[in-house]
Amino acid sequence: MKEKHKVIIQNNRLHYEFEIKRNITIIQGDSATGKTTLINMVRQAENLGKSSGIDVICDVPCRVLDGREWKLLLENMSGNIIFTDEENTFINTEEFAEAIRGSDNYFVLITRENLYNLPYSIDEIYGLHSSGKYQNTKKIHQEMYRIYSNIEEFPVKPEKIITEDSNSGYDFFCAVSEEKQIECESAGGKSNIFSCIKENSGEEICVIADGAAIGPEMNRLYKQAQKMKNIRLFLPESFEWLILKSGLIGGREIKKILETPENYIDSKDFFSWERYFTRLFNRED
Amino acid sequence: MLKIYLGQMEEAIYHPPTYFDNRYEDEWITEKLSVEMIKDVDKSTVVSERLIDSPVLGPISVKELSGGVKTLILMAFDNSDNVFNASVCGDNYAKWILKIAETKDLTINLRHIMDFGDGEFEAQILNTGETVHNMSEFIDIAGEYV
Repeated sequence: MKEKHKVIIQNNRLHYEFEIKRNITIIQGDSATGKTTLINMVRQAENLGKSSGIDVICDVPCRVLDGREWKLLLENMSGNIIFTDEENTFINTEEFAEAIRGSDNYFVLITRENLYNLPYSIDEIYGLHSSGKYQNTKKIHQEMYRIYSNIEEFPVKPEKIITEDSNSGYDFFCAVSEEKQIECESAGGKSNIFSCIKENSGEEICVIADGAAIGPEMNRLYKQAQKMKNIRLFLPESFEWLILKSGLIGGREIKKILETPENYIDSKDFFSWERYFTRLFNRED
Repeated sequence: MLKIYLGQMEEAIYHPPTYFDNRYEDEWITEKLSVEMIKDVDKSTVVSERLIDSPVLGPISVKELSGGVKTLILMAFDNSDNVFNASVCGDNYAKWILKIAETKDLTINLRHIMDFGDGEFEAQILNTGETVHNMSEFIDIAGEYV
């Protein structure tokens, strides 16, 4: 599945409105914000249609996936936005990750657990909040907000750079660091970043990692960065995205793709956006 | 005292709201602590053992309370010695978990780093046996397990 899909789910009391544009979206945040109610409304509308009294307005079907037969159900779903509530233990299994890989569906997963098997983006981790009454009706308007919003604190003057990978991104930032006479270290994978920054000795550190797949690490990295004032997180989509975005290579077509990647990236072909940007970069290189 | 097991715990009740729906006792709902918790987080008023007034949903049954507050009520009143997965509770419920643990030994399972706030608190981490006293100490250990 491709493209951005606007979803409106409403009854007489509640109005949910949001957009889904990647294969994996996570909803977490505070309790009592209507996450389970959202799932229940999708389920009732799916089962009863108009008879439910719930309107689901979206250009693709919205469905709920749960229960022991989830795998069987998923095998027969295509072109849907699939919602799953936190009661489903299968969402943190390798089996579920394998089922999502190559799926022609978008998934909205309600959970506070860190799903290390899934490469979801920092930009697609949301909470729900009420933004007041909907258009002068008695309906409460519920919308999504990014948990990790784009907070910019420039300029950053690090004494040390820690990169997620040990390949081209690391080589690039090592070269930059050498020029600026700062230290550069590879964490050797995103799951090692937490340990790397935990053992720091107080110097200003800038962590550079692929935002497109760093989602499962964000709970601990963000909390660690909040605690230690010397840690800055720089999380572009990926290293290749950064180069493409710089305009150094490619032309008008690349610029157009980067403006709305969701129009070009098919969830069937790319488990996460970083893989698409790597392919695009290699094509232009 | 609060005791926390971090990460997957086979014997824990994974989805306490479902357990609550099938096991809660009417009298738990009108306990002073439940009334306060429901008011604070769900913004709802307990009318009676079987009726809650929600500002959004109107009159609702106990089963329509948030999953987080159901979990808190279990932590406070269920005496079955079950360990509940507290990761169904958002950070806005952390202060209530600390409050419940002031009056009883409470063991919870956490699968994310819950934010217990800027103040001091005491919790024993069952994975390591260590006791933490603030978020800084908690993050250092929890980050290795969740």
